[in-house]
Amino acid sequence: MQTRHRDKNPRFGQQRDYGMIGIMTLLVLIAAWVLLMPLVPAIAGVTLRRFHLRSNSFVSWAVQFPIPAMYNFANRYEVHPATDSSDPDSNEPVDSDADELVVGERLINHFPVRIFTFADGRHYYLREGEDRWLTVRSSYRGQTLESRFHADPDEAGDGYVLRRLDPPESH
Amino acid sequence: MSHVQPSALEMASNPLVSIKPIDRALASHRIVQTGLLLTLVWKWTFFVASNQVYHNIPLRDSFFPVWLQSAWTAQLIYLAAVTAVGVSLVTKRNGVRRVCAAAALMCTTILCIHQASYNDMTFVTAWWTCLWTLWFVFHIDDVDQSRVLRRASFLSRSIISVILLGGASGKWTAEYWSGEVFYDIYFVDRDYWVFNLLRENFETEQLRSISMWYSRKVVLVETIAGLGLWALPPRIAAATAIVLLASIALLSNFLLFSVLFALIGLAAVGLFVPRSTEGAV
Repeated sequence: MQTRHRDKNPRFGQQRDYGMIGIMTLLVLIAAWVLLMPLVPAIAGVTLRRFHLRSNSFVSWAVQFPIPAMYNFANRYEVHPATDSSDPDSNEPVDSDADELVVGERLINHFPVRIFTFADGRHYYLREGEDRWLTVRSSYRGQTLESRFHADPDEAGDGYVLRRLDPPESH
Repeated sequence: MSHVQPSALEMASNPLVSIKPIDRALASHRIVQTGLLLTLVWKWTFFVASNQVYHNIPLRDSFFPVWLQSAWTAQLIYLAAVTAVGVSLVTKRNGVRRVCAAAALMCTTILCIHQASYNDMTFVTAWWTCLWTLWFVFHIDDVDQSRVLRRASFLSRSIISVILLGGASGKWTAEYWSGEVFYDIYFVDRDYWVFNLLRENFETEQLRSISMWYSRKVVLVETIAGLGLWALPPRIAAATAIVLLASIALLSNFLLFSVLFALIGLAAVGLFVPRSTEGAV
């Protein structure tokens, strides 16, 4: 095996390991973030919006990806189909109180919008090319965020356009 | 590795002395890369089917940059990640390992923020393992191998601790303490041996009660391990983490091994720390 004397430093005995320092700093910051989440509603709010793809920008959403969030929050979803009576140009879901129209009303482990974005849900709900409306609701220690989405079939027949029915960073 | 070479006389009198000692750092690297590779390919058939869905049903969403909605991006980056980790596993050249580690980290970063894969925790645990790997391949040839392995082990169990803590803190809420979330996700209709067995033998109300205790067990185990694993001695931490991580998948969902193999590989690094040097970092 090759060996080198790269880690000797005459002043400190060992060279500072900036890589280790950097990773440990990131870990400490993330640990502080997740430990404060139950105590600071603003942190939980940021994470709830992260789960609903409703951060105020893609960048502010993307920088959170290293924060582990397996099976976080109570995430509920409902999918509503189009019906003959619904207006195909509408961005509003059909009557959400009509239980017979609800395709699914279940809990899901994390990132509930994956019902439309991830492969299994996308195949199950969107393969027929019909309008679909998704309502997701995530709860954590008394704080709840609800978001609505409309999967609007592309006019050229090339998949869907996902329309958000709630603005970013709003409750 | 910092070991004393046996003399010619010792080698002549004891043939066992001539056996080359295990290169603990290289073994650690290969164990971690094996775990990482298993993580990436464990759901191979699912990913192949998913790729067809993404090509057949594109979903345009202005939240994501166009290139991070593309099925081609996800497909090519995923294959590049698998290739980089595979090459890193078998190559004998550390320069190649460094290039592969950087490439795999870049690929998993993209997969963590791509529309098709952002929600899959497989890529989050893979990303942390790639980050560890990038650090490790810049130290794998250091003179003081015991020190490298102690640090590698500390880093790996710190990563596992934070990942478990992230899972735990999101469950510190009434819906998990009551078992409501796990009841709906697992106990109602999940086709897995544990839940099939429970459904065959218990009524709904009993299942709700079992779900509550199952959920509380998960919350407590993740919390305790998240807060304490990093502080344990390397070998004890390694053994504890391997058993814990494997049990999470075995008792809930076989597909979860795709998330956990990378962490199991990381945990195993602690087993390679020489016993005589376990105390220091």
